[in-house]
Amino acid sequence: MSSRARSLALPLLLSVSLTACSSRAPDATLYEALGGEAAVATIVENFILEIAQDERVIDHFEVSNVQRFRVMMNQHLCMVADGPCTYEGDSMIDTHAGMGVTEADFNAIVEDMMAAMDKAGIPLGPQNRLLERLAGFRGEIIHR
Amino acid sequence: MRPSLALAFMLLTLALLSSTAQAQSDGRLRGTGGVSSLSGAGGGGLIPWATLTGYATYPATSGSVFATHADVDDFTLDVTGSAVNIRDRAEVSVARQNFDIKANGARISQDVVGLKLRLAGDVLYEQLPQVVVGVEHQALRDPATARAVGARSTTGTDLYVSAARAWIAGVAGRTTLLNVNLRHSSANQYGLLGHGGDDMDGRWQLEAAVALFLTRSWVAGAEYRQKPDNLRALEEHDAWDLFVAWFPDKRISLTAAWVNLGDIAGAPDQTGVYLSLQGAF
Repeated sequence: MSSRARSLALPLLLSVSLTACSSRAPDATLYEALGGEAAVATIVENFILEIAQDERVIDHFEVSNVQRFRVMMNQHLCMVADGPCTYEGDSMIDTHAGMGVTEADFNAIVEDMMAAMDKAGIPLGPQNRLLERLAGFRGEIIHR
Repeated sequence: MRPSLALAFMLLTLALLSSTAQAQSDGRLRGTGGVSSLSGAGGGGLIPWATLTGYATYPATSGSVFATHADVDDFTLDVTGSAVNIRDRAEVSVARQNFDIKANGARISQDVVGLKLRLAGDVLYEQLPQVVVGVEHQALRDPATARAVGARSTTGTDLYVSAARAWIAGVAGRTTLLNVNLRHSSANQYGLLGHGGDDMDGRWQLEAAVALFLTRSWVAGAEYRQKPDNLRALEEHDAWDLFVAWFPDKRISLTAAWVNLGDIAGAPDQTGVYLSLQGAF
């Protein structure tokens, strides 16, 4: 093998092995890292309990239909985490219209979500990946 | 100096009074208020950061008090101070620094007053980094040493711009913060040896910090502070540290660091430990 061919062969080999690697790990969605459907359902149940005990934000949820919130939250987390679901609820802007969610309210909800995930035994890495994606909705949620 | 310090404390008191009428002075997430830097400004330890002290969100007010002890080969430094975060838009800070020379028991004492204004961005939630501008005014209470080593002034004012950005799922899925400051300063050893000298260095200095939230309560990181070298007879080096900070809750934090301060006043390679306790409210 000429030195030129060898210098080409190495990157080619690397790229093949990288491709093999990525195709061997199709379970890399955040949804699966969180633990799938059962784990997300546990997170949502814990989240509802955390909110119910959180005097900082409970007023925002007083008129909520808990069963609908549960279903929509499961769908939304599943979709946000690249799981096999379609979120059928309203947009984040519409859902929070007129609620006047402040920065502090939003952070309180983030803390409730952290507690919900802690209690569901979710590792910190997947927790943070989910929180980062949820944080992306902040602009559609606060001051509406 | 006396009147400005009194004014700052009055501002602090006023802000605290108004904060008692505000709910949710702890509206931000744990750790996002940072700790207290040597100047009293929210940081960081060796440098201020673009974060504002305490946990206030607009329109609430929060504050912090702290005590810091650093012990390097030939010197110790004790700092106590306080800072108030007004509506998550401005920060006022005061600190008293006592620098003790182990060899002869001499002490150099200095007051520092700081103001920091938040211009744009959000450290955690926006694409744009959180950007602040700040001033730190240093005034020596014991100016004799500064005069003896040839400093041009025993007081001085630093200006800085600071930008900080955190990635919630950063390195290894851990929340990761990067902070960069650009400081305009002629201070010798943080102002403890006055300002300026017979061999004036450039006035613009670069400072940086990285921090990694290992858990929600443990943070590890490093800081670097470039420093001017204005005195021909006494070489001054850049400083850096490696730190661990513990935030058991939003009320208290404890920081431990290993610091490398370089040569100080002719004493070479000053390294040692740094401990800081902060209470936030």
